[in-house]
Amino acid sequence: MKLLEVKSLKKQFGDKEILKDITFDLQESEVLCIIGPSGSGKSTLLRCLTMLEIPDSGSIKYFDDYLCKGDGENFKYADKKTAEKIRNFFGLVFQNFNLFPHFSVLRNITEAQTAVHKIPKDKAKAKALDLLSKLDLSDKVENYPCELSGGEKQRVSIARALALNPKILFFDEPTSALDPELTVEILKVIKNLAKEKMTMVIVTHEMDFAANVADKIIFMDAGHIIECGQAQEVINSPKTDRLKAFLSKMSD
Amino acid sequence: MVTQLLNGMWMTGGIFFLTLIFSLPLGLLVAKARMSKNFILKNVTRIYISIMRGTPLMLQLLVVYFGPYFLFKIPLSALDVTFVPDLDYSFSATIIAFSVNYAAYFAEIYRSGIESIEIGQYEASHVLGFSKTQTFFKIILPQTIKRILPSITNEVITLVKDTSLAFAISVVEMFTISKQLASMEASMIPYLMAGVFYYIFNALVAFVMERIEKHYSYYKI
Repeated sequence: MKLLEVKSLKKQFGDKEILKDITFDLQESEVLCIIGPSGSGKSTLLRCLTMLEIPDSGSIKYFDDYLCKGDGENFKYADKKTAEKIRNFFGLVFQNFNLFPHFSVLRNITEAQTAVHKIPKDKAKAKALDLLSKLDLSDKVENYPCELSGGEKQRVSIARALALNPKILFFDEPTSALDPELTVEILKVIKNLAKEKMTMVIVTHEMDFAANVADKIIFMDAGHIIECGQAQEVINSPKTDRLKAFLSKMSD
Repeated sequence: MVTQLLNGMWMTGGIFFLTLIFSLPLGLLVAKARMSKNFILKNVTRIYISIMRGTPLMLQLLVVYFGPYFLFKIPLSALDVTFVPDLDYSFSATIIAFSVNYAAYFAEIYRSGIESIEIGQYEASHVLGFSKTQTFFKIILPQTIKRILPSITNEVITLVKDTSLAFAISVVEMFTISKQLASMEASMIPYLMAGVFYYIFNALVAFVMERIEKHYSYYKI
Protein backbone atom coordinates (compact mmCIF):
# COMPACT_ATOMS: atom_id res chain seq x y z
CA MET A 1 0.00 0.00 0.00
CA LYS A 2 1.32 3.41 -1.01
CA LEU A 3 1.46 5.79 1.94
CA LEU A 4 3.19 8.67 0.23
CA GLU A 5 3.53 9.73 -3.36
CA VAL A 6 5.59 12.70 -4.48
CA LYS A 7 5.51 13.95 -8.06
CA SER A 8 7.63 16.64 -9.75
CA LEU A 9 8.08 18.55 -6.54
CA LYS A 10 9.80 21.91 -6.90
CA LYS A 11 10.85 24.51 -4.37
CA GLN A 12 12.96 27.60 -4.68
CA PHE A 13 14.12 30.26 -2.25
CA GLY A 14 14.45 33.51 -4.13
CA ASP A 15 16.34 32.67 -7.32
CA LYS A 16 17.83 29.55 -5.90
CA GLU A 17 16.17 26.31 -6.94
CA ILE A 18 16.55 23.91 -4.05
CA LEU A 19 14.27 21.13 -5.25
CA LYS A 20 14.17 20.77 -9.01
CA ASP A 21 12.05 17.79 -9.85
CA ILE A 22 11.50 15.28 -7.09
CA THR A 23 9.43 12.19 -7.72
CA PHE A 24 9.29 9.09 -5.55
CA ASP A 25 6.89 7.02 -3.50
CA LEU A 26 6.85 5.23 -0.21
CA GLN A 27 5.17 1.91 0.58
CA GLU A 28 3.83 0.88 3.95
CA SER A 29 6.53 -0.56 6.29
CA GLU A 30 9.23 0.67 3.99
CA VAL A 31 12.34 2.36 5.36
CA LEU A 32 13.66 4.99 3.02
CA CYS A 33 16.96 6.74 3.56
CA ILE A 34 17.76 9.97 1.78
CA ILE A 35 21.48 10.66 1.37
CA GLY A 36 23.45 13.31 -0.41
CA PRO A 37 25.91 16.16 0.13
CA SER A 38 24.86 19.16 2.18
CA GLY A 39 22.96 21.67 0.14
CA SER A 40 21.53 18.91 -2.03
CA GLY A 41 17.97 19.68 -0.87
CA LYS A 42 17.36 16.65 1.40
CA SER A 43 16.33 18.70 4.39
CA THR A 44 14.17 21.01 2.30
CA LEU A 45 12.46 17.96 0.85
CA LEU A 46 11.75 16.67 4.33
CA ARG A 47 10.49 20.07 5.42
CA CYS A 48 8.11 20.21 2.46
CA LEU A 49 6.80 16.75 3.30
CA THR A 50 6.28 17.68 6.95
CA MET A 51 4.48 20.96 6.23
CA LEU A 52 7.25 23.18 7.56
CA GLU A 53 7.83 24.55 4.07
CA ILE A 54 5.35 25.05 1.25
CA PRO A 55 6.63 23.84 -2.13
CA ASP A 56 6.13 25.90 -5.29
CA SER A 57 4.94 23.22 -7.62
CA GLY A 58 4.23 19.51 -7.88
CA SER A 59 2.21 17.13 -5.76
CA ILE A 60 2.48 15.41 -2.40
CA LYS A 61 -0.13 12.77 -1.71
CA TYR A 62 -0.53 11.10 1.67
CA PHE A 63 -2.53 7.90 1.28
CA ASP A 64 -5.73 9.38 -0.21
CA ASP A 65 -5.22 13.04 0.49
CA TYR A 66 -3.29 15.59 -1.47
CA LEU A 67 -1.18 17.97 0.61
CA CYS A 68 -0.56 19.88 -2.58
CA LYS A 69 -0.92 19.43 -6.30
CA GLY A 70 -0.69 21.25 -9.61
CA ASP A 71 2.06 23.09 -11.42
CA GLY A 72 2.96 26.74 -11.37
CA GLU A 73 -0.24 28.83 -11.55
CA ASN A 74 -2.48 25.87 -10.78
CA PHE A 75 -0.57 24.92 -7.66
CA LYS A 76 -2.93 24.31 -4.76
CA TYR A 77 -2.17 23.62 -1.12
CA ALA A 78 -4.54 21.58 1.04
CA ASP A 79 -7.26 23.40 2.98
CA LYS A 80 -7.00 23.60 6.74
CA LYS A 81 -9.08 20.50 7.41
CA THR A 82 -7.15 18.26 5.05
CA ALA A 83 -3.88 19.67 6.32
CA GLU A 84 -4.90 18.79 9.88
CA LYS A 85 -5.77 15.27 8.77
CA ILE A 86 -2.44 14.88 7.02
CA ARG A 87 -0.56 16.27 10.01
CA ASN A 88 -1.89 13.41 12.11
CA PHE A 89 -0.53 11.01 9.54
CA PHE A 90 3.14 11.59 10.23
CA GLY A 91 5.64 12.39 12.96
CA LEU A 92 8.96 14.21 12.74
CA VAL A 93 12.17 13.80 14.70
CA PHE A 94 14.44 16.83 14.50
CA GLN A 95 18.20 17.03 14.33
CA ASN A 96 18.25 19.32 17.39
CA PHE A 97 15.51 17.40 19.21
CA ASN A 98 13.47 20.55 19.88
CA LEU A 99 12.13 19.17 23.13
CA PHE A 100 10.13 21.57 25.27
CA PRO A 101 12.67 22.54 27.94
CA HIS A 102 10.08 23.67 30.50
CA PHE A 103 8.20 20.36 30.44
CA SER A 104 9.30 17.16 32.12
CA VAL A 105 10.11 14.18 29.90
CA LEU A 106 6.66 12.80 30.65
CA ARG A 107 4.85 16.00 29.80
CA ASN A 108 6.84 16.40 26.59
CA ILE A 109 5.20 13.18 25.50
CA THR A 110 1.71 13.65 26.94
CA GLU A 111 1.07 17.30 26.12
CA ALA A 112 0.16 16.92 22.44
CA GLN A 113 -1.92 13.84 23.22
CA THR A 114 -4.04 15.65 25.79
CA ALA A 115 -4.08 19.20 24.39
CA VAL A 116 -4.39 18.40 20.68
CA HIS A 117 -6.01 14.99 20.52
CA LYS A 118 -8.07 15.29 23.73
CA ILE A 119 -6.89 11.92 25.00
CA PRO A 120 -7.66 11.53 28.74
CA LYS A 121 -4.69 12.27 30.97
CA ASP A 122 -4.29 8.79 32.46
CA LYS A 123 -4.42 7.18 29.04
CA ALA A 124 -1.85 9.61 27.66
CA LYS A 125 0.39 8.96 30.63
CA ALA A 126 0.10 5.18 30.24
CA LYS A 127 1.03 5.51 26.58
CA ALA A 128 4.01 7.72 27.44
CA LEU A 129 5.27 5.38 30.15
CA ASP A 130 4.96 2.43 27.81
CA LEU A 131 7.00 4.19 25.13
CA LEU A 132 9.58 5.38 27.65
CA SER A 133 10.12 1.87 28.94
CA LYS A 134 10.45 0.63 25.39
CA LEU A 135 13.10 3.26 24.75
CA ASP A 136 14.87 2.47 28.00
CA LEU A 137 14.03 5.79 29.62
CA SER A 138 11.87 4.62 32.51
CA ASP A 139 14.16 6.25 35.06
CA LYS A 140 13.96 9.66 33.35
CA VAL A 141 10.20 10.18 33.43
CA GLU A 142 10.29 13.13 35.83
CA ASN A 143 13.55 14.63 34.56
CA TYR A 144 13.78 17.77 32.46
CA PRO A 145 15.43 17.85 29.02
CA CYS A 146 18.40 19.85 30.35
CA GLU A 147 19.27 16.89 32.58
CA LEU A 148 19.51 14.40 29.72
CA SER A 149 22.33 13.39 27.41
CA GLY A 150 21.96 14.06 23.70
CA GLY A 151 21.06 10.45 23.03
CA GLU A 152 18.42 10.48 25.74
CA LYS A 153 16.99 13.72 24.39
CA GLN A 154 16.71 12.21 20.96
CA ARG A 155 15.01 9.10 22.35
CA VAL A 156 12.50 11.31 24.18
CA SER A 157 11.80 13.16 20.96
CA ILE A 158 11.25 9.84 19.19
CA ALA A 159 8.84 8.83 21.96
CA ARG A 160 7.10 12.19 21.64
CA ALA A 161 6.54 11.58 17.93
CA LEU A 162 5.49 7.94 18.39
CA ALA A 163 2.94 8.87 21.07
CA LEU A 164 0.67 10.28 18.38
CA ASN A 165 0.67 6.97 16.44
CA PRO A 166 2.05 8.28 13.16
CA LYS A 167 1.78 6.13 10.04
CA ILE A 168 5.07 7.56 8.80
CA LEU A 169 7.95 8.77 10.93
CA PHE A 170 10.35 11.28 9.42
CA PHE A 171 13.88 11.79 10.76
CA ASP A 172 15.90 14.86 9.84
CA GLU A 173 19.54 13.89 10.40
CA PRO A 174 18.66 12.40 13.79
CA THR A 175 22.28 11.70 14.77
CA SER A 176 24.06 14.76 13.41
CA ALA A 177 24.03 16.53 16.77
CA LEU A 178 25.34 13.46 18.62
CA ASP A 179 28.79 12.07 19.23
CA PRO A 180 29.57 8.61 17.78
CA GLU A 181 28.74 6.67 20.92
CA LEU A 182 25.29 8.21 21.22
CA THR A 183 24.77 7.87 17.48
CA VAL A 184 24.92 4.10 17.84
CA GLU A 185 22.30 4.31 20.56
CA ILE A 186 19.84 6.17 18.33
CA LEU A 187 20.53 4.01 15.28
CA LYS A 188 19.67 0.98 17.40
CA VAL A 189 16.33 2.53 18.29
CA ILE A 190 15.59 3.20 14.63
CA LYS A 191 16.60 -0.36 13.73
CA ASN A 192 14.16 -1.70 16.31
CA LEU A 193 11.41 0.46 14.89
CA ALA A 194 12.21 -0.95 11.46
CA LYS A 195 11.82 -4.45 12.86
CA GLU A 196 8.37 -3.46 14.08
CA LYS A 197 7.53 -2.47 10.52
CA MET A 198 7.37 1.24 11.18
CA THR A 199 7.32 3.21 7.94
CA MET A 200 10.21 5.67 8.06
CA VAL A 201 11.93 8.30 5.96
CA ILE A 202 15.39 9.14 7.26
CA VAL A 203 17.71 11.87 6.06
CA THR A 204 21.13 10.70 7.18
CA HIS A 205 24.88 10.87 6.72
CA GLU A 206 25.40 7.39 8.18
CA MET A 207 26.10 5.33 5.07
CA ASP A 208 26.60 1.98 6.81
CA PHE A 209 23.42 2.47 8.70
CA ALA A 210 21.53 3.40 5.55
CA ALA A 211 22.85 0.31 3.79
CA ASN A 212 21.85 -1.92 6.70
CA VAL A 213 18.46 -0.60 7.70
CA ALA A 214 16.96 1.01 4.63
CA ASP A 215 14.89 -0.88 2.11
CA LYS A 216 15.34 1.91 -0.36
CA ILE A 217 17.86 4.69 -0.73
CA ILE A 218 17.51 7.97 -2.56
CA PHE A 219 20.69 9.84 -3.45
CA MET A 220 20.11 13.53 -4.02
CA ASP A 221 22.38 16.16 -5.45
CA ALA A 222 21.68 19.76 -6.42
CA GLY A 223 17.92 19.39 -6.08
CA HIS A 224 17.61 16.24 -8.15
CA ILE A 225 17.22 12.58 -7.30
CA ILE A 226 20.30 11.10 -8.93
CA GLU A 227 19.81 7.50 -7.92
CA CYS A 228 17.01 5.61 -6.26
CA GLY A 229 16.85 1.90 -5.61
CA GLN A 230 17.37 -1.05 -3.28
CA ALA A 231 19.62 0.02 -0.44
CA GLN A 232 22.46 -2.48 -0.88
CA GLU A 233 22.47 -1.98 -4.61
CA VAL A 234 22.69 1.80 -4.41
CA ILE A 235 25.53 1.70 -1.90
CA ASN A 236 27.49 -1.25 -3.29
CA SER A 237 27.12 -0.67 -6.98
CA PRO A 238 26.53 3.01 -7.68
CA LYS A 239 25.70 3.72 -11.28
CA THR A 240 26.50 7.41 -11.55
CA ASP A 241 29.83 9.16 -11.11
CA ARG A 242 28.29 11.61 -8.73
CA LEU A 243 27.18 8.93 -6.29
CA LYS A 244 30.55 7.13 -6.67
CA ALA A 245 32.35 10.36 -5.83
CA PHE A 246 30.03 11.03 -2.89
CA LEU A 247 30.44 7.52 -1.45
CA SER A 248 34.21 7.54 -1.72
CA LYS A 249 34.29 10.94 -0.04
CA MET A 250 32.08 9.66 2.77
CA SER A 251 34.24 6.59 3.40
CA ASP A 252 37.42 8.66 3.77
CA MET B 1 6.21 61.46 61.19
CA VAL B 2 6.70 57.76 60.58
CA THR B 3 2.94 57.16 60.68
CA GLN B 4 2.36 59.96 58.22
CA LEU B 5 4.94 58.52 55.88
CA LEU B 6 3.52 55.05 56.31
CA ASN B 7 0.13 56.41 55.34
CA GLY B 8 1.73 57.74 52.19
CA MET B 9 3.24 54.30 51.67
CA TRP B 10 -0.25 52.90 51.10
CA MET B 11 -0.71 55.25 48.21
CA THR B 12 2.76 54.48 46.87
CA GLY B 13 2.04 50.74 47.10
CA GLY B 14 -1.34 51.26 45.45
CA ILE B 15 0.19 53.07 42.48
CA PHE B 16 2.88 50.40 42.27
CA PHE B 17 0.59 47.36 42.28
CA LEU B 18 -2.15 48.80 40.10
CA THR B 19 0.41 49.90 37.53
CA LEU B 20 1.87 46.38 37.43
CA ILE B 21 -1.56 44.75 37.20
CA PHE B 22 -2.47 46.87 34.18
CA SER B 23 0.85 47.29 32.43
CA LEU B 24 2.11 43.69 32.46
CA PRO B 25 -0.81 42.24 30.42
CA LEU B 26 -1.10 45.43 28.36
CA GLY B 27 2.59 45.18 27.52
CA LEU B 28 2.08 41.66 26.19
CA LEU B 29 -0.74 42.85 23.95
CA VAL B 30 1.40 45.74 22.71
CA ALA B 31 4.29 43.34 22.04
CA LYS B 32 2.00 41.08 19.99
CA ALA B 33 0.76 44.09 18.03
CA ARG B 34 4.32 45.30 17.52
CA MET B 35 5.27 41.90 16.06
CA SER B 36 2.11 41.55 14.00
CA LYS B 37 2.27 41.31 10.22
CA ASN B 38 -0.43 43.96 9.94
CA PHE B 39 1.31 47.10 8.67
CA ILE B 40 -0.94 49.60 10.46
CA LEU B 41 -0.99 47.76 13.78
CA LYS B 42 2.76 47.28 13.69
CA ASN B 43 3.54 50.92 12.97
CA VAL B 44 0.95 52.42 15.29
CA THR B 45 2.45 50.45 18.19
CA ARG B 46 5.95 51.32 17.05
CA ILE B 47 5.09 55.04 17.23
CA TYR B 48 3.32 54.57 20.56
CA ILE B 49 6.38 52.86 22.08
CA SER B 50 8.69 55.48 20.66
CA ILE B 51 6.65 58.34 22.18
CA MET B 52 6.36 56.61 25.56
CA ARG B 53 10.09 56.00 25.71
CA GLY B 54 11.09 59.28 24.13
CA THR B 55 9.28 61.70 26.44
CA PRO B 56 9.49 62.13 30.22
CA LEU B 57 7.03 60.19 32.33
CA MET B 58 6.32 63.37 34.30
CA LEU B 59 5.23 65.13 31.12
CA GLN B 60 2.97 62.19 30.20
CA LEU B 61 1.50 62.33 33.67
CA LEU B 62 0.66 66.02 33.29
CA VAL B 63 -0.87 65.43 29.85
CA VAL B 64 -3.12 62.67 31.16
CA TYR B 65 -4.08 64.76 34.18
CA PHE B 66 -4.74 68.12 32.53
CA GLY B 67 -5.57 66.85 29.03
CA PRO B 68 -9.29 66.27 29.63
CA TYR B 69 -9.76 69.85 30.83
CA PHE B 70 -7.49 71.69 28.41
CA LEU B 71 -8.51 69.66 25.37
CA PHE B 72 -12.17 68.90 26.06
CA LYS B 73 -13.13 71.32 28.83
CA ILE B 74 -14.14 68.45 31.09
CA PRO B 75 -13.91 69.60 34.72
CA LEU B 76 -11.43 67.39 36.58
CA SER B 77 -13.90 66.86 39.41
CA ALA B 78 -16.20 65.09 36.94
CA LEU B 79 -13.52 62.41 36.57
CA ASP B 80 -13.08 61.69 40.28
CA VAL B 81 -13.05 58.09 41.41
CA THR B 82 -16.45 57.73 42.96
CA PHE B 83 -16.21 54.26 44.51
CA VAL B 84 -13.32 55.14 46.81
CA PRO B 85 -14.02 58.34 48.79
CA ASP B 86 -10.52 59.79 49.20
CA LEU B 87 -9.38 59.34 45.63
CA ASP B 88 -9.76 61.99 42.99
CA TYR B 89 -8.84 62.04 39.32
CA SER B 90 -5.18 62.66 40.10
CA PHE B 91 -4.95 59.05 41.29
CA SER B 92 -6.63 57.59 38.18
CA ALA B 93 -4.49 59.82 35.99
CA THR B 94 -1.37 58.47 37.70
CA ILE B 95 -2.43 54.86 37.16
CA ILE B 96 -3.35 55.52 33.52
CA ALA B 97 -0.13 57.38 32.71
CA PHE B 98 2.08 54.89 34.54
CA SER B 99 0.36 51.83 33.06
CA VAL B 100 0.51 53.16 29.51
CA ASN B 101 4.15 54.19 29.94
CA TYR B 102 5.30 50.97 31.58
CA ALA B 103 3.36 48.85 29.09
CA ALA B 104 5.59 50.31 26.37
CA TYR B 105 8.76 49.29 28.20
CA PHE B 106 7.38 45.87 29.09
CA ALA B 107 6.29 45.39 25.48
CA GLU B 108 9.85 45.75 24.26
CA ILE B 109 11.06 43.33 26.92
CA TYR B 110 8.40 40.78 25.96
CA ARG B 111 9.33 41.24 22.31
CA SER B 112 13.02 40.64 22.92
CA GLY B 113 12.12 37.51 24.90
CA ILE B 114 9.67 36.12 22.38
CA GLU B 115 12.04 36.73 19.49
CA SER B 116 14.82 34.92 21.32
CA ILE B 117 12.90 31.60 21.41
CA GLU B 118 14.35 29.18 18.86
CA ILE B 119 12.36 28.60 15.70
CA GLY B 120 12.59 24.88 16.47
CA GLN B 121 10.14 25.31 19.35
CA TYR B 122 7.55 26.63 16.90
CA GLU B 123 8.31 23.90 14.39
CA ALA B 124 8.02 21.12 16.97
CA SER B 125 4.71 22.56 18.19
CA HIS B 126 3.48 22.88 14.63
CA VAL B 127 4.36 19.28 13.74
CA LEU B 128 2.71 18.00 16.92
CA GLY B 129 -0.48 19.78 15.95
CA PHE B 130 -0.66 22.55 18.57
CA SER B 131 -2.75 25.52 17.45
CA LYS B 132 -1.12 28.95 17.30
CA THR B 133 -2.75 29.98 20.57
CA GLN B 134 -1.67 26.76 22.29
CA THR B 135 1.85 27.15 20.97
CA PHE B 136 2.07 30.67 22.31
CA PHE B 137 0.61 30.09 25.75
CA LYS B 138 1.92 26.57 26.43
CA ILE B 139 5.31 26.62 24.77
CA ILE B 140 6.56 30.11 23.95
CA LEU B 141 5.28 32.35 26.77
CA PRO B 142 6.52 30.24 29.73
CA GLN B 143 10.03 30.15 28.27
CA THR B 144 9.83 33.86 27.46
CA ILE B 145 8.94 34.73 31.05
CA LYS B 146 11.94 32.83 32.34
CA ARG B 147 14.25 34.68 29.97
CA ILE B 148 12.93 38.17 30.60
CA LEU B 149 12.63 38.04 34.39
CA PRO B 150 15.92 39.89 35.04
CA SER B 151 14.87 42.74 32.72
CA ILE B 152 11.40 42.82 34.27
CA THR B 153 13.00 43.10 37.72
CA ASN B 154 14.90 46.17 36.54
CA GLU B 155 11.74 47.87 35.36
CA VAL B 156 9.80 46.97 38.50
CA ILE B 157 12.50 48.47 40.69
CA THR B 158 12.46 51.63 38.60
CA LEU B 159 8.69 51.73 39.01
CA VAL B 160 8.99 51.80 42.80
CA LYS B 161 11.07 54.94 42.51
CA ASP B 162 8.96 56.44 39.72
CA THR B 163 5.88 56.42 41.93
CA SER B 164 7.35 59.57 43.51
CA LEU B 165 6.62 61.44 40.26
CA ALA B 166 2.95 61.44 41.25
CA PHE B 167 3.76 64.38 43.52
CA ALA B 168 3.69 66.52 40.35
CA ILE B 169 -0.11 66.27 40.28
CA SER B 170 -0.48 66.32 44.07
CA VAL B 171 -1.20 62.67 44.66
CA VAL B 172 -0.66 62.23 48.37
CA GLU B 173 1.88 59.42 48.20
CA MET B 174 4.95 59.02 50.36
CA PHE B 175 7.23 61.39 48.49
CA THR B 176 4.65 64.19 48.51
CA ILE B 177 4.23 63.74 52.26
CA SER B 178 7.94 63.69 52.97
CA LYS B 179 8.34 66.88 50.96
CA GLN B 180 5.59 68.57 52.97
CA LEU B 181 7.07 67.34 56.25
CA ALA B 182 10.54 68.47 55.29
CA SER B 183 9.48 72.02 54.50
CA MET B 184 7.16 72.18 57.53
CA GLU B 185 9.83 71.06 59.97
CA ALA B 186 12.75 72.51 58.06
CA SER B 187 14.51 69.17 58.41
CA MET B 188 16.27 66.57 56.25
CA ILE B 189 14.95 63.69 58.34
CA PRO B 190 11.71 63.16 56.34
CA TYR B 191 13.75 62.83 53.13
CA LEU B 192 16.08 60.41 54.82
CA MET B 193 13.14 58.36 56.07
CA ALA B 194 11.59 58.40 52.63
CA GLY B 195 14.87 57.11 51.20
CA VAL B 196 14.90 54.28 53.71
CA PHE B 197 11.32 53.36 52.85
CA TYR B 198 12.02 53.25 49.12
CA TYR B 199 15.11 51.20 49.78
CA ILE B 200 13.23 48.66 51.90
CA PHE B 201 10.43 48.50 49.35
CA ASN B 202 12.94 47.73 46.63
CA ALA B 203 14.78 45.20 48.75
CA LEU B 204 11.44 43.38 49.10
CA VAL B 205 10.84 43.62 45.37
CA ALA B 206 14.30 42.23 44.64
CA PHE B 207 13.71 39.41 47.11
CA VAL B 208 10.35 38.45 45.57
CA MET B 209 11.73 38.60 42.03
CA GLU B 210 14.64 36.43 43.05
CA ARG B 211 12.20 33.88 44.43
CA ILE B 212 10.29 33.92 41.17
CA GLU B 213 13.52 33.44 39.22
CA LYS B 214 14.38 30.55 41.48
CA HIS B 215 10.98 29.04 40.84
CA TYR B 216 11.83 28.94 37.13
CA SER B 217 15.32 27.58 37.68
CA TYR B 218 14.16 23.96 37.56
CA TYR B 219 15.02 23.93 33.88
CA LYS B 220 17.55 25.44 31.51
CA ILE B 221 16.80 26.64 28.03
